[in-house]
Amino acid sequence: MALSRVDLGHGIGLRTRHFERFLAERPPVDWVEAISENFMAAGGRPLAVLEKVRRDVPVALHGVSLSIGSVDPLSERYLGALEALVRRIQPALVTDHLCWGSHRGRYLHDLLPLPYTEEALDHVARRVGRVQDRLGRQILLENPSSYVAFRDSTMAEWEFLAELSRRADCGILLDVNNVFVSARNFGFDPIRYLDGIPRDRVGQFHLAGHSDRGTWLLDSHGEPVPAPVWDLYREALRRFGPAPALVEWDDRIPALETVVAESRRAAAIEAEELAPALRRAAP
Amino acid sequence: MTLAETQALFAELVRRGPEADPAGLEACLAGTPGLPAAERVGIYAGMYLGRQVEALREEFPRLAGLLGEERFLALCRAYLSEHPSEHHDIGQLGRELAGFLRREPDPHRPDLADLAELEWTRSLAFGAAEAEAAGPEAFAGLAPEAFAAARIRLAPSLHLLHLGSGAASLWSALEAGEEPGPPLPAPTAVAVWRSGHRVLHAALGKDEARALAAALAGEPVERICAAFAGDPEPAAAAHAALSSWIEEGWVSRVEGGGTGGGEA
Repeated sequence: MALSRVDLGHGIGLRTRHFERFLAERPPVDWVEAISENFMAAGGRPLAVLEKVRRDVPVALHGVSLSIGSVDPLSERYLGALEALVRRIQPALVTDHLCWGSHRGRYLHDLLPLPYTEEALDHVARRVGRVQDRLGRQILLENPSSYVAFRDSTMAEWEFLAELSRRADCGILLDVNNVFVSARNFGFDPIRYLDGIPRDRVGQFHLAGHSDRGTWLLDSHGEPVPAPVWDLYREALRRFGPAPALVEWDDRIPALETVVAESRRAAAIEAEELAPALRRAAP
Repeated sequence: MTLAETQALFAELVRRGPEADPAGLEACLAGTPGLPAAERVGIYAGMYLGRQVEALREEFPRLAGLLGEERFLALCRAYLSEHPSEHHDIGQLGRELAGFLRREPDPHRPDLADLAELEWTRSLAFGAAEAEAAGPEAFAGLAPEAFAAARIRLAPSLHLLHLGSGAASLWSALEAGEEPGPPLPAPTAVAVWRSGHRVLHAALGKDEARALAAALAGEPVERICAAFAGDPEPAAAAHAALSSWIEEGWVSRVEGGGTGGGEA
């Protein structure tokens, strides 16, 4: 099967500190992304806010705790909560990360890297299948930013992700900043990464800022998207075409208009990059 | 190594730092001359603690401010080693902190547990379900003979705390950037609730706290009003309290007492 792609436009993350202004002002964004775990409490106020927002714009549910790569059994509690949230919100996209974050029932609250081996590929593909069967829809997995590699890895991350998307019939949420960060941290060319990702599997883009720690980059989400990441986004657009794009801002979250402005910048860049292609395609 | 072995080792290194198993680390993980594997693992170990400390700071900002960086970090380390996260939502991380502080009290500030309980309750109020607030007509809709048996349904965000110290005053001092006073035993009842997007709390008198406890337990209005029996003017005191509850948006609805009563 192919990935069911939706073109939502350009969104922002729905963050607690913006709830009040978001509801009052309805900022000019095409869609919002909600961190799934923050809205799972049945009957809570965050869910009520999300339902109000959902009446106006599409929503993508973005998880951080599915722990798809963990050797722990998939959490029934988590899947049940996610399934209920999906039923209630009817999101345009359901996404999480190619990582693991729990071990022996304890959550490490991080997006930990996997060794890119056949064993891990089989394991993750089977679990993605189970999640998709449970939700009755495709999910998208995001490439994490990473800081360490495993000696046992037999393939590059992009090869693993590409094969996983084919084997499990899932989509890819391509985080452009994470490609940039990992490329710097491991010394590979980010263009090689983009070239290794199947064109028809990319269903969403993430953009974000990072911070330079001297010998490595931290995927910090606390600053504007830097120029090299915008440049890489242009490269991604040329390869994968338009896909819903979101600017993430999770640390030192600025005023709503600042985040909205970054999102509009992504829209403008998409228009610049894709307009020539559209002109060429026109009769 | 199998995937299971790899994750067991990595989890250990993240929780306890690269020094937990240097040989295993070198055998399993690859670095570069500019950034050796141990330093790379250290990034994850630092983020493991840092992310959880930040999550706790977000839920307990006044406690963190009172303790200062070093003592708050020490508290988080001790707490997390006894209460590693077992919930997928990092926002649930602090739910045992007040209890932990009661079991392991700070000798200089025994009121820290109360402050933590107040902050955690404020967080619960912030996330509680929304409900329409009833207006003064809620009681007017009742037939006079149904008044005594009517029951008050309160806003889901409303909580009543019984604290052993003046943690509410301590919170206010910290909020205002004032130097906090010394901890003193001061049994206080505190109501915590949300108004619009703001979380508020207020200390209650003994009678009103008893009345609110009765209302939260679903007792009928006559039992709620009985809390003011010791007041020189019990009817006026009960009326003033119930009116203020309506005014603050604590009351979602009043359910009739069976004979002629109705929902307002």
